[in-house]
Amino acid sequence: MKQAKSVVEIWLWGGPSQLETFDPKPNAPRDFNGGLKAIPTNVPGMEVHEWWPELAKCADLYSIIRTMTHRHNGHESATYLMQTGRLPGGGEICPAIGAVISQAKRGSYGGEFPPYVILTSAKGRFSEVGFLGADAAPLVTGGQPNSARFVVDGIVPPAGVTPEIAKRRFEMLAEIDAWRPSEGSPNASLAAAFDAAGAEARRIAEGDAAKVFDLSLESAETRDRYGRTTVGQSLLVARRLVEYGVPYVTFNHPGWDSHKRHFETMKRRSAETDVAVAAFLSDLKSRGLLESTVVWMGGEFGRTPKVGWEPPWNGGRNHFASCFSMLVAGGGFKGGCVVGQSDETASKPVSRPVSPQDFLGSVYELCGIDPDGPLPNRQGKKMTVLPPQSEAGRLREIYA
Amino acid sequence: MEMNATRRAFIGGAVAFAAWPATAAEQCASPSPAPSPWETPDGMATDSVMVRRIYLDLAGRIPSKDEAKAYVLGGRPSRRKELVERLLASDDFADYWAMRFCDVLRVKSEFPINLWPNAVYVYHGRIRRFVKGNESWASFGRALLTSQGSDFRDAEVNFFRATDRRTPEGWAEATAQTFLGIAPAELSPERRAELAAYFGNVRIKNTREWKEEIVYVDGPDRRGELCERLFSGARDEVASAFRRRLRGWLFGADSAACADGGTLKVKDAIREIVLSDEYARGSVTGGFPARRLDAEVLDDAFCSLGGAERKYFSPAPEPFSFLPPSRRTVCIEDGSISSSFLTLFGRPTRDTGLESERGSDVTAKQRLYLFNSGSLARQIDNMVKTSGKKAGFRERIDDIYWRLISRAPTAREFGFLDGERKRRGKRGWSEVPRELAWSLVNSKEFLLRI
Repeated sequence: MKQAKSVVEIWLWGGPSQLETFDPKPNAPRDFNGGLKAIPTNVPGMEVHEWWPELAKCADLYSIIRTMTHRHNGHESATYLMQTGRLPGGGEICPAIGAVISQAKRGSYGGEFPPYVILTSAKGRFSEVGFLGADAAPLVTGGQPNSARFVVDGIVPPAGVTPEIAKRRFEMLAEIDAWRPSEGSPNASLAAAFDAAGAEARRIAEGDAAKVFDLSLESAETRDRYGRTTVGQSLLVARRLVEYGVPYVTFNHPGWDSHKRHFETMKRRSAETDVAVAAFLSDLKSRGLLESTVVWMGGEFGRTPKVGWEPPWNGGRNHFASCFSMLVAGGGFKGGCVVGQSDETASKPVSRPVSPQDFLGSVYELCGIDPDGPLPNRQGKKMTVLPPQSEAGRLREIYA
Repeated sequence: MEMNATRRAFIGGAVAFAAWPATAAEQCASPSPAPSPWETPDGMATDSVMVRRIYLDLAGRIPSKDEAKAYVLGGRPSRRKELVERLLASDDFADYWAMRFCDVLRVKSEFPINLWPNAVYVYHGRIRRFVKGNESWASFGRALLTSQGSDFRDAEVNFFRATDRRTPEGWAEATAQTFLGIAPAELSPERRAELAAYFGNVRIKNTREWKEEIVYVDGPDRRGELCERLFSGARDEVASAFRRRLRGWLFGADSAACADGGTLKVKDAIREIVLSDEYARGSVTGGFPARRLDAEVLDDAFCSLGGAERKYFSPAPEPFSFLPPSRRTVCIEDGSISSSFLTLFGRPTRDTGLESERGSDVTAKQRLYLFNSGSLARQIDNMVKTSGKKAGFRERIDDIYWRLISRAPTAREFGFLDGERKRRGKRGWSEVPRELAWSLVNSKEFLLRI
């Protein structure tokens, strides 16, 4: 099996509703589906919610898992579980899948910034790198991709700093930074490390790294196709990062925790995300990158199938982990498939339940990482990438 | 005013240098080298280095230009002792050292400690009072270890909550780590079991208030006995662990080893170290260990120089809480409130309470950020703009040096900068100060406590 080179994670932060995404229930009562419909896709028999018309046109590029399931309805625990395959506790913080994959693949990545890039802010509820430590830390870009100039603080120089000015500054720094501890002292090794870090940083600053984030190098037509939204332009940056060879890219897409006024929020969020993800998958496909890039989209859980119409919810859905959906594409995942079937209200799996470990284990496998292999850690403990588990649940029925 | 101060800088400097012993033979042998801005010929730190060192270690911030000048140019023989006393009594001291103790006591709202915000604020307040009130580590420890009650009202009970293992074994490890300086990995099974036995009857229960918990003892309470053993019987072990910790914070982990017992009062113990001869050594030949500024201190330095750009908020509980930008970063009570800047510069996550959580190395990522950051560039620009538009070139350069590294430029440094100004013609007047500020911010002398 060919290994996937890169992974793009589209994290729908807060828990997106399974019913208004990839497990619509048009025949359920209005208290469950809000009176909304499903639409057919270009793959016969495969339906998505009516708010995802662009993805409906390219369902052959991705597959849907409708029976993701676990038992944790709090954001923190569920996020940790979906990111690490483990439950919190036991005195250590495990690394997220992004940290593990990017560390495993860093040897074959020759880029000038970390092999793990997060657009644009970290999840923040726990440290993504866990015990792997600062060395495995992602580049968290900050900034706004959907602006005239996407400034990645620290990588892209501030407006007005030309290469010529930058060069002059380095010359002045060399002259001014004169503190030199006597040779052989501990301070001398600190000073040497300081200078070595500076030399490496200067090499990066003067290299091509900034161009990867420069969306002005894309045509207006391409930028429009992704949508002039944060999600659209972020995924365009993600595609450029994949082309550059970054092994793991996360786009943290907030705003899916729709306790209140769920339908208004979902409609808006779905529209821009639908356009962006469809453009992203098609673009990867046409550039020949989809086969080597795993794309996955989902959150820590789904939402309660029964709508709370009464105040204070006013049409809201709460946290729901028993049954939720996930989109996967590329990198060895087949397109046009549906895994698992939920009951008539998307409340529980009827067939083929998929655990977070089954899901993560599949992504690891496609990246050439054995989920039962060792996970390096500073404490020297014997740990495996995922907790010991059966491999029977992995999504091998949709491996290409 | 500005001119006078600058002139006094030269005079003050000359007096200090003239006071150095130099034999007639030495003077004949060679023209004396330019005096070092960092170290006296006998290997002691200069006043400029000392004032910055003392402010960083006691107040958790760099001194302002006026504070630095008052110390360096003031010339009173008792100035070091007076400054130390003034800072020990200040709120800045309490804030900074409370932050240090909150690191090791794992004060954070969220995963994996899960104190939650109300308890974080109450516990932080108690820890700050321990620092501010010069309380003894033993009496503070006794208050923590024998506490009972609500995490919202009885701050000390949060000692039992601030661990991801709320069991007798977990509390045994927390006790050994906090009071004996023994990390969980180094704690022998026998000792763990011995300590755990004192916590056998400690329980935690919920109330109907969201996130309120009650710590109580169900059966005989043996914790008082433990305190007798820790703080009376085997007092030396606790005292030397405490002083090792303080020395580690001030001199680095490597110099922490040789610490004897002594006072357990927090301010008194810190005062003793900061007034010692060892603390006044130079960092070039004198062996005083340099250390990169803490993430929080660096953030505060940039904000105080060029205006606050920090935007801290807490995502738990919803609705989010936002901290006012005027708030010093060292004052953030909650370890769960962070930023990518703080992460980059090694702020501890407060997950384990181990001192090694705080990153103090200098990495390429950090230096790249300092080279290139837009928000830092704006702060540097703001700083240069306020360095006296109408002032002369010399005053502007002096101002930038004093504000960033608490001294005037040496003759060599000023000569270089003035040469640059002349070389660049009219543009040099604005370009050189801005590039100088950028260079100093990226220099060892600014980024390290030397």
